[in-house]
Amino acid sequence: MYRNLSIRQKQIVWAWAFLAIPVVFYVVIRFYPTGNAMVISFQNWNLLGDRTFAGWENYRKLWHDEVFWQVFRNTFVYLILGTPISLVISFLLAYHLDKTRFMHGFLRMLYFLPFMTSAVAMAWVWRWFYQPVPIGLFNNFLAEFGIPQIAFLRSTTNALPAILAPAIWAGLGFQIIIFMAGLRAIPQSYYEAARIDGVSNFTQLFEITIPLLKPTIVFLVVFSSIGFLRIFDQVFNMTTGDPGGPLNTTKPLVLMIYQTAFTDFDMGYASAQTVVLFLILLLVSLFQLYLLRDR
Amino acid sequence: MSNLIIRDLVKTYGKTEVLHAINLEVQAGEFVVFVGPSGCGKSTTLRLVAGLEEVTSGEIEISGRVVNNLEPKDRDIAMVFQNYAIYPHMTVRKNIGFGLRASKMPRAEKDKRIEEIAEILGMTDLLSRKPNQLSGGQRQRVAIGRAMVRDPAVFLFDEPLSNLDAQLRTQMRLEIKKLHQRVGATIVFVTHDQVEAMTMADRIVIMKDGHIQQIGTPAQVYHTPANAFVAGFIGSPSMNMLSGEVSDGRVTLDGGGTLDMPGLPGGTRRITLGVRPDDLHPVDGHGLIQGPVTVREPLGHETLIYVGAGSGEIIAKADGRTPPPVGANVSLGAAPENVHLFDPETGAALR
Repeated sequence: MYRNLSIRQKQIVWAWAFLAIPVVFYVVIRFYPTGNAMVISFQNWNLLGDRTFAGWENYRKLWHDEVFWQVFRNTFVYLILGTPISLVISFLLAYHLDKTRFMHGFLRMLYFLPFMTSAVAMAWVWRWFYQPVPIGLFNNFLAEFGIPQIAFLRSTTNALPAILAPAIWAGLGFQIIIFMAGLRAIPQSYYEAARIDGVSNFTQLFEITIPLLKPTIVFLVVFSSIGFLRIFDQVFNMTTGDPGGPLNTTKPLVLMIYQTAFTDFDMGYASAQTVVLFLILLLVSLFQLYLLRDR
Repeated sequence: MSNLIIRDLVKTYGKTEVLHAINLEVQAGEFVVFVGPSGCGKSTTLRLVAGLEEVTSGEIEISGRVVNNLEPKDRDIAMVFQNYAIYPHMTVRKNIGFGLRASKMPRAEKDKRIEEIAEILGMTDLLSRKPNQLSGGQRQRVAIGRAMVRDPAVFLFDEPLSNLDAQLRTQMRLEIKKLHQRVGATIVFVTHDQVEAMTMADRIVIMKDGHIQQIGTPAQVYHTPANAFVAGFIGSPSMNMLSGEVSDGRVTLDGGGTLDMPGLPGGTRRITLGVRPDDLHPVDGHGLIQGPVTVREPLGHETLIYVGAGSGEIIAKADGRTPPPVGANVSLGAAPENVHLFDPETGAALR
């Protein structure tokens, strides 16, 4: 039967044969749980008992939940501070690292190291940095100069930035590598032509480098936004004992979902939060792609 | 008046010297082509003139000023790059105008200048396009336009045609030459293609291993090559090189052929005889070389024949209509005035 097919039909048969593996994988590992979560969000379920239909009850509860709105704000603060700050820092580092010939490979490796390190381990190291005298590195340093202590993780205003810092730091390595690849892809002759035309370094940066890095920037903005919207490891590990920080000021959406699901065992409510997170991620990504599209 | 003077120019990278004391004077309005195999230093020379690389020793003078320590922008030059270096995110107008970014000209005057250049290059309709909407030849023209808009003393072209397909290359070659005739600019053009060099140049500079081999008009380098390298590099197909001996006005090749060349100095010495395929034809009787035809390449009006001589294959030209058949034994002869003699050791031309 196979031998009677046309070349095109044979190609299709083979294409599907190879596609079958990822298709099965995605259906079982990705789409089924996603669909299931959406179904559960309309039910009440404590993980062991029966599932009962709840209608929009979980979403209504979410809408009136003050903690949710606090968490919603926190999540966006992580995003709105984290993405631009991390992109600017990683671009500046990549831009200068690209021009450095001295120990280039070694320096690049150093910057990439945090990316390969476990987020949990890093969170605990940073947590130690933030401790009060006589344990914490930063406060000890401040004490040396007689500066009052800063309550990094125990303050409603400082806690979120204090957790954001290691999160930004952890992502830098990856972003620097991607930026450097983007910078390398810009032909050297563009800069030589600009030099001959007598254009300043500043103009070169804003008129040549950054516009030509646009595809790289789009990728990193979307990628890092998704990362900050899903922040969890740092928060969870730096605020164990009081997960979510003082008065929930550091709690992101993913931590709230985790607590609702595995502390309160309210799977329906957790699923509803998950669906909301999914929609936020989708809208933010689409919005960014729209803003950064090629005109 | 000379527009560009290069004196004893040396360039070293670390311990390797890549340019060995180059000397050249380019007159105002002259079209000079640097040609040579890759790695001969022609592009390096151009980049030194442009100021993209630092001079190790020697002097570069543009319009009467030594520019060794001047930034590229202050040298009064413009450069067209091999990959054109036109910015994909800018329109043609912005790309051409980029050459004027740093100048203090009022805006209206800049616009006027851009339009003038676009007019000369026939690109007025394309000014608002982006480079990815242009053909290879049009992109090339944008790159030339960006150089022209600055009205420099010297134009530098770094292999600008090598990214184009054969047909477009021929066309752009002609366009650049016409442009030069119309605008009368001083041009230094680098290429590895000897046909480009021959067709466009007022004078050709042939380089090899960081040395200038010969400077001369296309006719000079073709008809009176300074050495065996120039003789072999210029002209296509390449000149045939045969070793032999000269004694009392008579050349005897190692393969046995002889040629009387009156006017040669007396004495006996080894030589390398060079003869272009164009000057080597089948003859009746006893010629310079005998051998069987191994391959024929018909080109229409003539046929290239490859003749198996003792020391290798010799290329000659035969008639387009009645070339000798493959396998036939032919005798090839050349007129004495079309034959070149070189020193077998140094390669220097003896005559």
